[in-house]
Amino acid sequence: MHLTDDQLNEYLDDALPKRARAESHLSTCAECTARLSALRSLAAEIESLPEESLARNLAPAVTRRLTSPAAAYSGFPRWLTLTTVLQTAAATVLIASVAPFILEAASTFIPALQAPPVMETILEAQRVWTAWLDALSQFQWPSPPELPASLGLSNFYILLALAGTALAWLVGNGLLLRSQIKQ
Amino acid sequence: MVLTDTFRNSFNRRYTSAMDAPTDRDLILRARRGEVEAYGELVTRHQAGVFNVCYRILHERGEAEDLSQETFLRAHSRLNTFDVNRPFGPWIRRVAANLCLNHLESLKPETEFDEERDAAEGAGPEAVVEVRERGEQIRAALASLPARFRVVIELRHYQGLSYDEISAELNIPLSDVKSHLFRARKLLAEKLHAPD
Repeated sequence: MHLTDDQLNEYLDDALPKRARAESHLSTCAECTARLSALRSLAAEIESLPEESLARNLAPAVTRRLTSPAAAYSGFPRWLTLTTVLQTAAATVLIASVAPFILEAASTFIPALQAPPVMETILEAQRVWTAWLDALSQFQWPSPPELPASLGLSNFYILLALAGTALAWLVGNGLLLRSQIKQ
Repeated sequence: MVLTDTFRNSFNRRYTSAMDAPTDRDLILRARRGEVEAYGELVTRHQAGVFNVCYRILHERGEAEDLSQETFLRAHSRLNTFDVNRPFGPWIRRVAANLCLNHLESLKPETEFDEERDAAEGAGPEAVVEVRERGEQIRAALASLPARFRVVIELRHYQGLSYDEISAELNIPLSDVKSHLFRARKLLAEKLHAPD
């Protein structure tokens, strides 16, 4: 009885449980010894593959990406992709649209599952939406307080000062981050 | 005076060289504290090994370089989970193998492996004529294997992992490890020793 291919492979990898028995067989069987020898040659051939040299140094690109602002996004879990978000949104809309019909149909069998009728729910949602639009149309921005005339400043100058401060803030941040962007 | 100089030279040789070349462990600890340059040094040290893992599995240089870069970025995000008392090289090479497998599996849906189809494709006479050097023949033979077979060969033959370690690394049953490995070897033998 010859050794199987699996047994020879396991023998080669020092993973055969009954190794002594296999060795005993190999000492008397020329055919199995030849098969093992071929397997050993193959393993040696696979492992003889020379290492290739790398054409470029990866370190600058890796460190640049680690310090780039985009690296902050690496905190997101891998499954949180655009596709996942869109699929979840689509599924939520679908479930929300279908749920009232399912509940209504189910309530005929299970009285405890009394859901509000679909039309009533839609009308209620419409009422809330209209009320919200009314509130929005009546909204008014508070007018800025009038400055005392004695100061001699008009709103135009105050806005100009605010714009200048914002611009200085942006330029300052740009200068601070410049060293990190260059890396 | 001579004695003092000898002592100083000996001291310098012994300690400045140690200071000049921090260990991987030191670099990892510094990288964990946010020192990107320390991580850059780790990349420089291990990039060749990682690139070769990717190149053996992917068989395409540009892709292998990109995946090597991704491997280091992925490893950086997991640096806090790495046991600093273990060697960094084997760990990062295993990360690379896994990343390559994920990459290959994301390219096309996993299909049932068809040995007849694969043998017909891989052992074409044009391919054999084109691939003259033995190294290239081995690479081409490896590239013709299904993704999981390639990765199992990589982990067993080039990274020296045991069956149990491969099983844990790829999160597959031990029986699958054996089956993938033995079938991969059989296919490689057929391709490498096929008559011209």
